[in-house]
Formats: sequence, C-alpha cells, structure tokens
Amino acid sequence: MRERITFIQKLGDSLEPSALTVSGRDLNGPNVRAVREDKLTFSLDELPSELHTLLKASHELHIRWISPIAYETVSPLLARLPPGFHLFYTPGQGTDTASHKLCSTLQDVFGSITCSTPAESFTSLPVDRFSHSAASQYYQPLESLSHFIRYARGQLCLASDSSCAARLNDLTGASSLDVSYDTISHALKITALWPYQSQSVHATSRAHVRTEVGVLSAEKPPTMKDHELGIAGLLTVLGQDAKPSVTMFAFASRHRDTESGFTATFLTPTGLHPTLQLQLESSKPPSASAYCSPHAYLTLPNTIFADKYQLSDDLFLASKNLTALRFISQPMDLEAPAYVMKPWGSAVLVELSPPSGGSWPWTAEIPLHLRYLSPAHGGYTGVQVPYPAVFWACTAEEGTKFPNNPFERVNLGYDGLFGPRTVFWHIEPHAQGGERLVSTVKVPVLDLDKAGWVNVGTAVTVLLGFAWIVWKLLGVYGKAGHGRISTKEVENGEKKRQ
Amino acid sequence: METPAPAGTSSRALKSMPVAPSASSASSASSLASAFFQGPRPLYLGAALSRIVLLLYGLWQDANSPVKYTDIDYLVFTDAARFVARGQSPYARETYRYTPVLAWLLLPTAYQTGSPFWDAVCFNSGKVLFAAADLVAGWLLERVLTMGRGDARPMDAPTARRFAAIWLLNPMVATISTRGSSEGLLGVLVMALLWAVMARRVTLAGLLLGFGVHFKIYPFIYAPAIVWWMDRERMAGSGAVAPAKLPNRIMKLITPARIRLAVVSLVTFLGLNIIMFGIYGAPFLTHTYLHHVTRIDHRHNFSPYNTQLYLASAFPGLPALRIESVAFLPQLTLACVIIPFVVAKKDLPTAMLAQTFAFATFNKVCTSQYFLWYMILLPLYLPSSSFLVNKKLGISALALWVASQGLWLQQGYKLEFLGQSTFLPDLWLASLGFFLVNCWILGIIISDVSVKPGVL
Repeated sequence: MRERITFIQKLGDSLEPSALTVSGRDLNGPNVRAVREDKLTFSLDELPSELHTLLKASHELHIRWISPIAYETVSPLLARLPPGFHLFYTPGQGTDTASHKLCSTLQDVFGSITCSTPAESFTSLPVDRFSHSAASQYYQPLESLSHFIRYARGQLCLASDSSCAARLNDLTGASSLDVSYDTISHALKITALWPYQSQSVHATSRAHVRTEVGVLSAEKPPTMKDHELGIAGLLTVLGQDAKPSVTMFAFASRHRDTESGFTATFLTPTGLHPTLQLQLESSKPPSASAYCSPHAYLTLPNTIFADKYQLSDDLFLASKNLTALRFISQPMDLEAPAYVMKPWGSAVLVELSPPSGGSWPWTAEIPLHLRYLSPAHGGYTGVQVPYPAVFWACTAEEGTKFPNNPFERVNLGYDGLFGPRTVFWHIEPHAQGGERLVSTVKVPVLDLDKAGWVNVGTAVTVLLGFAWIVWKLLGVYGKAGHGRISTKEVENGEKKRQ
Repeated sequence: METPAPAGTSSRALKSMPVAPSASSASSASSLASAFFQGPRPLYLGAALSRIVLLLYGLWQDANSPVKYTDIDYLVFTDAARFVARGQSPYARETYRYTPVLAWLLLPTAYQTGSPFWDAVCFNSGKVLFAAADLVAGWLLERVLTMGRGDARPMDAPTARRFAAIWLLNPMVATISTRGSSEGLLGVLVMALLWAVMARRVTLAGLLLGFGVHFKIYPFIYAPAIVWWMDRERMAGSGAVAPAKLPNRIMKLITPARIRLAVVSLVTFLGLNIIMFGIYGAPFLTHTYLHHVTRIDHRHNFSPYNTQLYLASAFPGLPALRIESVAFLPQLTLACVIIPFVVAKKDLPTAMLAQTFAFATFNKVCTSQYFLWYMILLPLYLPSSSFLVNKKLGISALALWVASQGLWLQQGYKLEFLGQSTFLPDLWLASLGFFLVNCWILGIIISDVSVKPGVL
C-alpha cells in the first residue's frame, strides 16, 4: 500500500518550510485554507476476498462518487461530474459469472445500489473514439458514503485501531471518492477529495506504508507555458525525510477553471415534459486562442429522458440556446414506463449556444420528458435530477499531451466523447436555494389512495355500455331479424305501430 | 332530400344577397350551398384548395417556429423511408410500427436533389400523397352514396356531394393529413373496399381487405360483415329463397363469392406478410404486429381501460380477475360477431360504421386518430339517421360527444402540462363519461337500421 496526501491552497497562499514540523512518522502544520486529496494505492492481495475476485474478473472498473452538497475546489483538482454514483466498467474476458456478481458486491460495499446485472442495467459507451474509455456505464443518485465507511471500517481496520476508523469516518465530509482499477496497473487506487475549507495540516504514516505528503499551492513559475498550470510547495515522505523539500513544477492540465458559475432549475409548471434551465454567469469563452464551445453533460435516471428526435431540429434547438445533441446513450425506449425500464437511465451531452461577443449572463434550456412512474399514495412522486457537469470544451494546441499530470483524472463519461486533445474548462455548479446540487421535479402519478374503485368501476361501466348496445341490437333483431329489411316489412311495421 | 336548385336560382341568390341580407339570408345561403354542390368541381376544388393552403401554412410554420406543424409521425415515416433509400430496414428507425409499404410509398421524401427548394418539395410529397388520398376517399364516398342501393332510391349526385363534404371539407381531416398522418390512406382503403363489395367486385374486395389488414390490422373487423352481407341471393341478384333444412342452410352459407373473398384476402394478407418477413425478418413481425400485443398502453388516452391499465402494468403480480385482461371480449363480440350478424345484411355501410365505432370505443387504447377511422363512414349513415331527422337529438349527441371529450382534454391538459395528478378520479371519470356517451350514440346508430328499408 502507498499513500499520497496533498493539500492544495490558492495562488499566493504558500507555506514556509519552517511552518511544518516532521517528527518520525508524523507531520504537523498550521491551519490552512486548502483542498485535501488522499490517494491510496492497494495491491490486489491486500483487499477483502470478494473485492479481489471481482477486480480480477474486471478489465477496468472506475467508480466515481460525487457528493450532492455543493463544494468549492481549486485548480488542478477540477474535474467535475454530476453528483451521485458513477460506474465505468469493462469486464474481463470470459468472466460472465463474476460480472454477474458485480451489482451485489457493489451493494455490499456502497449500500443502496439498485442495478441487477451489467447486461441489464448498464449502457454501453462508444468504443471508437477514445482508447481509454470503458465499455459500459452505470449511474444512480447516492446521497452519502455512510455505508461505504461502515463497510471499509469492518473490512480494513483492526478492532483495536481507532485511528484507522477515524480516518475512514473523515470520509463523511468528503466531496468525492474515486475507486479505480485496471488490469494494466493491477492496483486499486482510491482517491478522496475534501472541499476547499479551513483545515489543519496533519498526517501520520502507518508501518510499511509509504506516505508522501504535499502542501502545495497554485503558482506561476517563470518557465510555465500558456496552456500549463504551475504548482509549488513542500513535499515530505514520512519516516524517510527529516524535513520537507521545496518543489515547483508546471504541467498541462486537461481540467481547468473558468472562474464562473451556473445554476440548474426546472421551469414551472413542469408537467410531464419538464425543461431544465441552466443559468450561466458568463458567455465569455475561457480561451481566446482555441476553439471553445460550452457543453452540458447530464446523467439522467431512467425516470426522465431527452428525446433525440426532438433535439434534432435546428430552429427548435436555437430557441432553447442549444447547438446540438452530441451524444445520448442507447438504447432509449421513448414510451416505456419507468417501472419496466431495466437500464439505469441515460447519459446526454448537449452543446450549448452562448450569445456571441462580450460576457453576459445567459440561459440554455434542455427539454426533457418524464416517464410514467409507479402509482403512489398521495398522487405525486419526487424525482431527483442531478446537476449536469457544465464546461467549455476547447481544442488544445497540436502536440499537447497530458501524461505527466500527477492529478490527471480520466474516465469521467464525457471525456471519452471528445478528442484526446480537448481541455475542459469547468463552470462551478451553484446550488439554487440551499446547498444541494440536485433539482427536484414533482411528478404526478396515479393516486393509490383513490385506486380502490378503479377495477370495479371500469368493469361496471364497460359492462353497462356493452349491455346497452347488446340491448339495442336485440331490439333490432326482435323487430327485423338478422336478414335484410324489405320495403314491404317496413310498411307493415309502420301500419302495426299505427 | 332537397332537390338540386337550378343554376339560375343560385346566381339570383348571389346577386340578391348584398341587397336584402336580413330577409333572405337563410334561403340565399341555402341556394348558395345548392350551387356549390350542383357540380363536382366546386367541392373538390374547395377540398383541394383548403389542403394546399394548410400545406403551405405548415411549411411556413415549420420554417419559422420552433413549434412544428408537421406531425411527429411524419418524421418517423420519412426517417424510415430514408433508411429504406439507403438499403436498410425501415425498422432501424425507433418507433416505426407500420408496414414497410408505407416507407416505400414515402421513398420520394428521401430523395435529395441538391437544391433546397426541390428537397423541401420531395420531403413534403408524402403529405401531398396523404391529402390526395383524402380527396380520393371523398370521391369514392360520393360514388358509394350514388350507387344502386337495393330496395331504396339512389341518392342524386348533388345530395351525395353534400354528405361527402362532411369528410372532404372537414377541417379535422384536412389538418390531420396535411400534418403528415397516414390515416387518410386508411380512408381510401376502407372506402374502396366498400365500393368494391357493393359493386360485387369480389376479387378486388379481397385484395383491398387483405391489403388493409396488412396495412393497419383493424380492417379485419369488416371481414365478417362483408362475408355475411355477400349471401347467395344478394350476389345472384334474385329475391329471397324459401328456408331449407339446417344442413342445407349451412351448405348454402358457402357460396363461390364468399370462398373467393376469403381466398383472395387471405392470400393477399399472408403473401404480403411473407414478402415483408422475407425482406426484413423478425423486426417486421415484432414492430408491425407483435408490438400491439405486448404494448402496455399505460399513457393516458381516451380508452375507458386506461387508468386500469396503468394500475395493472405497475403491479403485474396481482392475481384477481381484471377487466382489462378480457377487454377483447366485449370489443370483438360487438365488432366482429353481433353487429355484423344483426346489421350487415340490412345496411352494410352502417354496420361497418357501427363496427368501427364499437372497435374504437371498446379498445384498450383510443386516440383522436381513431375518430378518423369512423368519420369516413359517417356520411353513408347520416342521410337516413335519426340525428338528422330529429335535429334536437343530433345536436345534443354532437354536443355531448364534444363536451365529454373536452372534459377529458381539460383533465389531460392539467396532467400533461400543469403536472397536476388528475389520474384519479377526474381523468378516469372523464374517460368513462366519454365511453358512455359513445355507447349511447352507437346504440342510436344501431337502432336506426331497423326503422328504414335496406338502403345499400
């Protein structure tokens, strides 16, 4: 096992080396405003057996959990995703049974994961574009890591080890958690991120664990190129270094910060065809030298969906400030109710169309459609739709490579939909009233409290209508039989009536 | 029936109108109408013109508004035609649930010329086809109305055109076809089938029946009515025959005409299906036919079963006997057995109207396109109906039909656009109310056949 703990402060907030004290396996420092990232690397044999079996049967497995609570972060830890539980998965070869158990294992580890099997619940990702994107995708809202923390405490910590439990408990405040495995590195990497906040610099390494601690801040080294980010600060390997060493480096980062924000809300009344409105603070492209256009990446639970046919008319798209629908996961049943849907939902990438010139607040509207949901008591069900990830995608200069970025994060769902030289300039999601990055739609459903009479009432009405018509037919039959009526018969009939 | 007004009367009426509108407006309006229906030209030109105007208006709206005039179904058909043009299956288009014939018919819509103007003309040629089908259906309607009709006096052409106008000048019909819905094609097929049957053209009738069922399934309900109507006496043109012993009577039912109709229609239906299956394989069967068996139909529509279907589809485990699982019983008993048996020999067009009405009313799903299915047959029944004889009854029936539909639409609007949970009880009661109104109207249509001589 290896461990890397990084605190990253904003530009100009650097610490002097004397501010940190290193003693044996401990490092202590002052309170700083920073983002904290912990990255743990496990070899397979260090893991609980069920995880071991599962990972051995996977070619690639990436889990990204993002907190529904709005959080601030700093460059370069910017790669954003819609809040919830994301999974990108490529099964190993000939491992059907192991892959069958994936969902139940996930349930053990993360709690209320509702997928059944990858074949039924996952959607496939396009494989032709980006070599390192996984084969399939799964998403569902997941409120917190509490189940994961309990699971990890039970599996990883000895009963006597209270510091182990305490560190895991710290995950309660984390904003995101990445769990990544691939057969090439043959190691499981777990990365947790805590939001930009005031916290004390403190780290302790455990026996036989190489722990590296960095206290860094954004910097602008003189050698830095335009498309690069600079980082400077103090690095210490616990138990090995007696004092921190000073470092400064620059690298090209795939994820950058636009320093502007957006909110997402549903226009009212929502009806059965709600429109998600994105309100963006600025229409100014983040880079003047590259071609940039804003995009929204949505992961929609299977209760709600976008209709690719509706999003194909240019006039309609323009009226919503959209340029085009760039991706929508398949298959997509446009008619089925949510309660018979097997796939998790759909991922959607839309290109937005900002007003040109200057920097204005603007809006874009994404028309969506609700499926019918199960009948419920009270007649309404709330559907939680996570905020999309909104970013400007810019084409990096020819020859730009991102391999030596120590904070690189790939397999986010949308990165595989762009070329390898794309830079994502993220727009920060701001919660609308409160702190949650989730928009709620109140969906009308059949009210179970009033459903008692439906079967009987329908049956009686249909029989009544049926009986009435049969009665009328009998009347005709009684008067005129089943044959034709000749003029003579009618005259006779009329005489009789008189 | 009104006698056609001489041409002179109408021109005088036209001249007198501006002079003394109050005194003679009613009579001059009616003579104006007589003039309109006197020859075929004004009616058909009017019908064509109204469709051309709607078509052009639709082009304008589509080009200038994000809200489209063109029906979503038209985009499904034309996408499917594009797939076919590229040598692919029309079922590559999601939600294409029709026979490949429809996509073939619309192949011109996929034609690319390179000039935007001619591309638009090609793309909209399908709507022109549907609108033209409307006109042909109306023309056939007039033919059927003026046909020799058994014991009754044939209708004169101007009067027939008055009734054909219910279809030809109907704004609902014109809008639906110019928006690109294929229901107009059904109108032609059904009217051509009826014309062929009444003209004793049995082979043609068999071809049309087989093709109609292949095209849209529901015309199969007409088979029993047509077969029953086609008895030996009628086909031979002779009078009634004395009743014979039972075995003989059963043998008598099997006539050359009936056998020919059965064989031709079955061969047409099966032949088309075998060809389509050969070309497009399982997706053809799945989307054209099996889809209608397996679909849940949970989304709100006019059917009385709708709420029950939504409830049942969400809780499929419930064991109790549920009305929707036997919904086909009342529907098919009426549409395919009792109505044909009692009504067909008396009045075939009214029998077909009643069958279609019963089929749509008792169906598990019912949308406004289904109304078009019986609207084409309405002008054949109306001339001798109690709705026209008793104006009060006619107006109240129409008002009730519109009002109960409006009530449903209001609840549907609240649900769909305002997000109010109107499923229970409002929308449910509205659909039951609309159902009962339809049943009442159907009862009157059926009763009407016993009080008039065997027209047609």
